[in-house]
Amino acid sequence: MFQLFLIAFRNLGTHRRRTLLLGGAIAGVTALLVILMGLSQGMEETMLRSATTLGTGHVNVAGFYKITSGQAAPVVTAYPKILELVRKEVPELDYAVQRGRGWAKLVSEKTSSQVGVGGIDVKDEPGFRQVLQVRSGSMDDLAQPNTVLIFEKQAKRLEVKVGDVVTIAAPTMRGTNNTVDVRVAAIAADVGMMSDFNVYVPSQTLRSLYQLREDSTGAIFLYLKDLKQMAQVQARVRQLLTDAGYTLMDNDPRAFWFKFDVVNREEWTGQKLDITNWEDEMSFITWTLKALNGLTGILTFVLLVIIGVGIMNTLWIAIRERTREIGTLRAIGMQRTRVMVMFLFEAMTLGALGTLAGAIIGFVVCVAVDAAHVGVPEAAAMFIMSDRLHLVVNAGSVLGAMVFITGCTTLISLIPSFLAARLKPVTAMHHIG
Amino acid sequence: MSLKNLLSAAAVSVALLSAPVALALEPAAMVQILSVIDDRQRNGGDYKAHIYLEQKEKDKTDNVREGFVYRRDADDKLMILFSKPKTEAGKGYLRLDKNLWSYDPNVGKWERRTERERIAGTDSRRADFDESRLAEEFDPAYEGEAKLGKYTAHKLNLKVKPNIDVAYPVVKLWVDKDTNNILKREEYALSGRLMRTALYPRWKKVFSESKGADVWYPEEIRFYDEVEKANSTIVLIKSVDLRSLEANLFTKAWLESKSR
Repeated sequence: MFQLFLIAFRNLGTHRRRTLLLGGAIAGVTALLVILMGLSQGMEETMLRSATTLGTGHVNVAGFYKITSGQAAPVVTAYPKILELVRKEVPELDYAVQRGRGWAKLVSEKTSSQVGVGGIDVKDEPGFRQVLQVRSGSMDDLAQPNTVLIFEKQAKRLEVKVGDVVTIAAPTMRGTNNTVDVRVAAIAADVGMMSDFNVYVPSQTLRSLYQLREDSTGAIFLYLKDLKQMAQVQARVRQLLTDAGYTLMDNDPRAFWFKFDVVNREEWTGQKLDITNWEDEMSFITWTLKALNGLTGILTFVLLVIIGVGIMNTLWIAIRERTREIGTLRAIGMQRTRVMVMFLFEAMTLGALGTLAGAIIGFVVCVAVDAAHVGVPEAAAMFIMSDRLHLVVNAGSVLGAMVFITGCTTLISLIPSFLAARLKPVTAMHHIG
Repeated sequence: MSLKNLLSAAAVSVALLSAPVALALEPAAMVQILSVIDDRQRNGGDYKAHIYLEQKEKDKTDNVREGFVYRRDADDKLMILFSKPKTEAGKGYLRLDKNLWSYDPNVGKWERRTERERIAGTDSRRADFDESRLAEEFDPAYEGEAKLGKYTAHKLNLKVKPNIDVAYPVVKLWVDKDTNNILKREEYALSGRLMRTALYPRWKKVFSESKGADVWYPEEIRFYDEVEKANSTIVLIKSVDLRSLEANLFTKAWLESKSR
């Protein structure tokens, strides 16, 4: 077998130009695949990190409170009890935070915009500091009452800077209008879509705006030690709270603000909890990832077809050129299977070397782009939830891509190799090509 | 100083000191004023008004709508149906059993809305078109007389009564001393911030057969958003018809039928 492999390897060396051309194409496809996978995984990682810090936990205990059937508020009442129960019964929990939720008008001297208001206790949120880059002001100041953290684009739109006072206006749960004047404590770098419509105020400020009790919040974000445990923890929390006597909403895998229509239409009043996970809350952007993965798949398929046709064609030419050689080898006793294996090895070696080169190129490009902190256009930043391009190269995925493309090239070469093996020695030896 | 002068000075002092007391209205008198304001606008029977809304917002083109307000005060029912422009025709609000529903014929869907939300995105609210309930909902305090142009008005500070939900818990009202018409209304948020000012420059009356008396309505209301200063809304009540309405008018089916 090793001899066959050597023959295949030498053949590739003999036909250097052809090998370089075909190997280059395979390398190109592999590099492209590695880059696209790096982009897709980088986006997923960025989105996961930003989303699970800014707007959702891995698993969320959220819900709605309705004073009358027509007025739903994203409020969880008596949350410390729920938190205690979850902490006791969910060993997979890494840490948990409570986050107030609201929708209000943010008004500056110049203009206004509708924003989602998150109520946070910044001291209890280490992840928040890791994800957000403060451009001016201080994140610590957000611990002071009546302060707000906004994002660069919002600051530009509202024409405000750190220290300026803006007004947050919203109706309370009973529909009575209320306002709170807040000082801009920090302006953070944009993090895509999340920063377009979200601002953060201290929990107490949010409670005073909505006239909520001390033990009320918008949602409890549960962060797990291992994200793979998300589904089972979600199911367990659901069961746990049902057993504890809480009324739960039917599972609806959408972000909470999409549910107001449904909740408002229903007759019930009081509290209903809603257990979601980060994918539910971010369902409106996960299509970006699906689209990118789909595009990667289509692109890979098209390129593989081209490469396949190229390999088949090249092997046809190789067989044609080496028909007499095949005839001689068959005449001196080489088995048909071995002839086929010889050509298969040639394709496989070409595939392996090409994908290796491609993977290295792809890896280098990914690392270089990631290190260069390349900015992305505004429209793209909205979806990937970051203003920088972040690429992540996963060794397993790269190896998988190499094996896949090499396997495809080897499989494609089966047909010409099989036909080469079927040649009769006499016919092959008399071949003039 | 002679005794005569001393007595004169004392009399003037007493008169000056007692002047504000004389001007201030007793709580019962203020409640009476609010009751009169409410009563003058109530019909008792059915009510139909042809309205025109013009919304001005910063950096946006003016938004104009026409429609009809239907009311049946006895049953506490209200419907607002927009007729113009074409894109808004058929959209409407229906208040049923203390629930406000909005209907959009483009999607054929009813949505339950909060009673205190803005009507069609303007600065107006359901309460602006509904029956006046000032005496029921607020406790008044007297803030003295005030001049508004050529008018002399009672200035009342109204605070919402406990366990009553209104959009603005504090309202300042300027009521014309001579006619008891509201001239100006300032509405404050819970935080004490002024949120909206409404001016009522013109009032009109129409005779109601069911009531056997005149029913007053503001022919024009100008709302000024005090949070976003550039925003304002003009509401014109072009005509009022107090004849009985169709029996099945205050139903979802009726509103839906208007857009077919």
